[in-house]
Amino acid sequence: MHGSVDDQLDALFRAYREACPAPEPSRDFMPQLWQRIEARQTFAFSFRRMANALVTAAMLASVALGVYMAVPHSAASNSAYYSSYVEALADANTIDTPDIVAPVRLDLSEPQ
Amino acid sequence: MLVEFDLIKRAQAGDSAAFNEIVVVYRKRILGTITRLISRPEDVEDVAQEVFLRLYFSLDQLRTPEVFEPWLYRLTVNAAYDYLRKQRRRQEFRMSDLSEQQMVMADALAGGRADLDEREAKKTRETVEALLGAVSEADRILLMLKELEGLSLKELEKIYNINENALKVRLFRARQRVLKAFEAVAKRKEPVRAG
Repeated sequence: MHGSVDDQLDALFRAYREACPAPEPSRDFMPQLWQRIEARQTFAFSFRRMANALVTAAMLASVALGVYMAVPHSAASNSAYYSSYVEALADANTIDTPDIVAPVRLDLSEPQ
Repeated sequence: MLVEFDLIKRAQAGDSAAFNEIVVVYRKRILGTITRLISRPEDVEDVAQEVFLRLYFSLDQLRTPEVFEPWLYRLTVNAAYDYLRKQRRRQEFRMSDLSEQQMVMADALAGGRADLDEREAKKTRETVEALLGAVSEADRILLMLKELEGLSLKELEKIYNINENALKVRLFRARQRVLKAFEAVAKRKEPVRAG
């Protein structure tokens, strides 16, 4: 019984295959396909161009930031390069710093 | 293979004329496969164009021209899946709907719009589509490729990238489900014939 149902199903599949012949492609098939390919290419091209522009901008920004960080902005930033603690201290307490070293006043007049 | 390896290599290198030739050679076969996979004649060309569009943009990923045909079938199956997924309201020809469809067909016949052969063909299409509604979308496509497109297990292995045993099990289960549905339909028809 099962065998015959199997055969019937196979026969039905064969009939289905014959009942579903491959349709003939329309005349517009190829032109439409190329239109779609070109549309996708245009989109991909614009996207790639935009991505390239973004990458370039990001690289320029990185270089600019690198240069900015490399250039010294104040004397204080040089402290890291002092060879000794004394030099650093001398730099931090310059001679014209009034609260550390007050200007010397010499009174040369004779005491009365 | 319907085309020479050289033609595929030329298309891979960006030769539009070679690609055009490949499409011309394969389009009818692909249209036939899609017709059977999606069961909506009005959308068949659109899906077929999507297949060739994907082929055009993925041709450079094809390592060896020997596997071109399984590759093209894989693209076809994937495009059909995507279409069916988009449709969502897949044509689920439930068993209970069959009589309604037959009524519509009878109306058409009354109007003299279809001849006997076409009526038979339509009935066959509807019956098979209803039977295949008993299995999942994935199994339906697998079964169609095997039973209707006549692809061998080796070819299916290449398309699905799964081993032969797993493929056999899947096919067997799918066929059993369809067979069960077919038996149910046959049983329902018997009393009618007797009457």
